Amino acid sequence: MSYQEKQNIVNIFSGLLVTIIYALMVYQRHLQGNFDLTEDFKTWGVIFLIFIGISIVVRIIIQIIFHIINAIATREEYVPVEDERDQLIKLKATRNSYYAFSSGFVLSVLGLAVGMPVHWIFIAFVGFGLIAEILDNGSQIYYYRKGV
Amino acid sequence: MARSSIQNNIRRLRFNTGELTQQELADKVQVSRQTIVAIEKGNYSPSLELAFRLAHIFKSPLEEVFSYDPDDGIQKNK
Repeated sequence: MSYQEKQNIVNIFSGLLVTIIYALMVYQRHLQGNFDLTEDFKTWGVIFLIFIGISIVVRIIIQIIFHIINAIATREEYVPVEDERDQLIKLKATRNSYYAFSSGFVLSVLGLAVGMPVHWIFIAFVGFGLIAEILDNGSQIYYYRKGV
Repeated sequence: MARSSIQNNIRRLRFNTGELTQQELADKVQVSRQTIVAIEKGNYSPSLELAFRLAHIFKSPLEEVFSYDPDDGIQKNK
């Protein structure tokens, strides 16, 4: 398995891990009555901003740990240089993830139009954001294996 | 994924150029070894610039390194 494939698998699991743990923590505080996620939209903004910050920091840490473990396991210290094929694969994968997130956005707006509660749109954003990210990394693994 | 209608003779040319390894060739044309593997297997069609760089390394005209067969691509895409 190539370095890029392993990196994409790590990205999928780190994305799932960070999102699920953070969502559970927020939901727990909602149940405890610290804030009301069905009404307080300002809190949603704060929750998203904190999530972005935490997500970036945790992923950087996970990437460093991955690189160290990979270097020990394979005894190869270098990180492969990104060439034209890598860039093309990333572009195609990003396109697929945008399709997924855009579809999610449209579905969320449709949900609002048929009378779903407003706070569901924020939950849908988190869900479709996660799906889009999994699709991004999954697409990269697919293109690396099957060709582009 | 449909295979490309562009074929190549990189494996043979590497052999004729003093058994050049995939890694050595990759270093010379500044791409990863995986990219050379993908090109040799027909899973990736390189850019025009990379194709010329490969031909330059082998000191061969482009047509000797790569060939184009549209019928082959149509059959594989079916």
